[in-house]
Amino acid sequence: MKARDLLKLVWANLNRMRGRVVMTGMGVLIGTAAIIVLIALATGVQQSITGDLSAYGALNQILVFPGAYFQAFGGGSIGEDAVLTPQKLIELGRIDGVVAVTPYEQLYGEKTLRYNRLVGSSSLVGIDPRAVRDMGLEVEQGSDRLNRETVLIGARVAENFADPRRRRASSEDPPNLLGQTLTVEMRRTFSEEDREVRTIRLLVGGVLKERGGQDDSSIFLALDTLEDLNAWSSGQRIDRRTEGYSQAILIVNDPKRMRQIETSLMIDEGFLAYSARTSLDMLNTIFAVLQAVVGGIGAIALIVAAIGIANTMVMSILERTREIGLMKAVGATNRDVMSVFIGEAGAIGILGGIGGVVFGIGAAKVIDMVAMAYVNADLARSGATGGSGIDSIAVIPLWLPLFAVAFALVIGLASGIYPALRAVQLNPVTALKYE
Amino acid sequence: MAKQKQASLITVRDLRRTFKLGNTLVRAVDGLDLDVIDGEFLCLMGPSGSGKTTLLNMIGGLDRPTDGQIRVNGQTITTLDENALAVYRRQQVGFVFQSFNLIATMTALDNVKFPMIFAGISEAERDERARDLLEQVGLGHRLHHKPTELSGGEQQRVSLARSMVNRPRILLGDEPTGNLDSRTGIEILEIFQRLNNQGHTIIVVTHDPRVSNYATRTVHMLDGQIVADNAAPI
Repeated sequence: MKARDLLKLVWANLNRMRGRVVMTGMGVLIGTAAIIVLIALATGVQQSITGDLSAYGALNQILVFPGAYFQAFGGGSIGEDAVLTPQKLIELGRIDGVVAVTPYEQLYGEKTLRYNRLVGSSSLVGIDPRAVRDMGLEVEQGSDRLNRETVLIGARVAENFADPRRRRASSEDPPNLLGQTLTVEMRRTFSEEDREVRTIRLLVGGVLKERGGQDDSSIFLALDTLEDLNAWSSGQRIDRRTEGYSQAILIVNDPKRMRQIETSLMIDEGFLAYSARTSLDMLNTIFAVLQAVVGGIGAIALIVAAIGIANTMVMSILERTREIGLMKAVGATNRDVMSVFIGEAGAIGILGGIGGVVFGIGAAKVIDMVAMAYVNADLARSGATGGSGIDSIAVIPLWLPLFAVAFALVIGLASGIYPALRAVQLNPVTALKYE
Repeated sequence: MAKQKQASLITVRDLRRTFKLGNTLVRAVDGLDLDVIDGEFLCLMGPSGSGKTTLLNMIGGLDRPTDGQIRVNGQTITTLDENALAVYRRQQVGFVFQSFNLIATMTALDNVKFPMIFAGISEAERDERARDLLEQVGLGHRLHHKPTELSGGEQQRVSLARSMVNRPRILLGDEPTGNLDSRTGIEILEIFQRLNNQGHTIIVVTHDPRVSNYATRTVHMLDGQIVADNAAPI
């Protein structure tokens, strides 16, 4: 039998039991749609979470904290000796795979950031000026040089300036701060009566490209400048050679070494280390399992549908017993008979699968629209500006529809095997006389 | 006798077929010998249960004997595997059944074309052969009617056309007039006779005594054995 004739015969046979094919196919459709929707949701959640996560640090950075931080996590006296002294940082910088290392300090104390009448909410951080490029901080405008006089501002810093007396409309363009002077009003209090105010000026030498995460809302100062300000604010200068820095950033150029370095920092050195990359890898593993689980739930629906197909085919074979006898009498081989019935089952599978993909994508889109409407309403209420990092709660990767249709086809074909074997085993003499 | 000098097309030797009915063993065909010469129109008669349909089914390759041998055109069909037997049915024999066994959802034309699908014949050729054969049985005007829209005689003529599509040497009829009134039965027998005159070897199992009028030879069976064999001169 030619393949084309087989397909035509299968189609004609399905056509004459159309009602049953539609009902059986619905089972496959629902199963396939369930797989599509569930995996789309798992993927969407994965992307929004992992997308958020990479906002906590560029993927080539390891954040290192003194070992004493372990105590905050109930680590007892572990890592007490792990201090981020300048000498230690030089050593860390020599680790194979580490491109650069910089202390990372924030400005503490009471302060107000101003630009003309606008008040800003960005944090001020101090880094080693030599590490700017290695940290991946690229300028959109201006120069990436960081020195005593100039600062670099993140892409969203300008947006974070607002007039406290009136709410800036979101449509209003944020000020262009390049070449402008920001002022920081710092206050220190010794006692109720003894307060001091100091105003410092920061010249914006460069505006950084948007990269996602907190760097976009940070103002980068040369470390020495920041250290001076912190010393003034707290009234005493911390000796980094004994106390160490409160945080350092290691830039690692080889993503594969990241985890190993991170582990070594914690186990061998006693530091607390964190990288977005490692967390991302772990989360991705968790989500792969989650996808398999939810996909499996959908697959159960498809397997139930497969039993439906098998049932329909067995019924159909009972009704068409004489026809099967006739097929054999006129010279159809067992292979021909198998092909016809497995073909019919497979066709129900693939038709249901295609329907399920269309329906599933539609359902995922609807869920996405409804969910995003909620998310956006929520964001608007909380007053957040700009993107949340979530564009979509249901994401359909390209492989998913193809996989779903292929799976439905395989399920259909498999469910046809038993009925087809029954058809093959019919005795033609009794089949021809079957009432 | 003249028939023994000619080479036989079908040779049946010591054929046995037993069925188990509950605890009893039924000998449907019990040590039967038969030679059918090329070009014969054999009428196989006998009471119900005499084993004539069982014999026909085994000659047609639909059933397998418990013991014994059938040779058709030099080929021993009793030892063929399933696949080769299917090919034998497709190429050497055509069946006509009492209850027609047409596919209800297909038109007369499609019913006739159906067996050719399994022979791998092209659609154009299928169409041509089927139309031609339906024309020959006088149904050229009923091509697109479904079996339910046809009379019994017309349905049996469709079935006759269908049995011919793969150009078999042998036509096998199992009570082909059994469901027809006497006038349409005669029409069918006349077509069988015409096909016999064209060179087809025909074996018809029947209760209908009129069939022997058209046959060249009538064989009577009883209890799985041949009890009378009256060859009319060819």
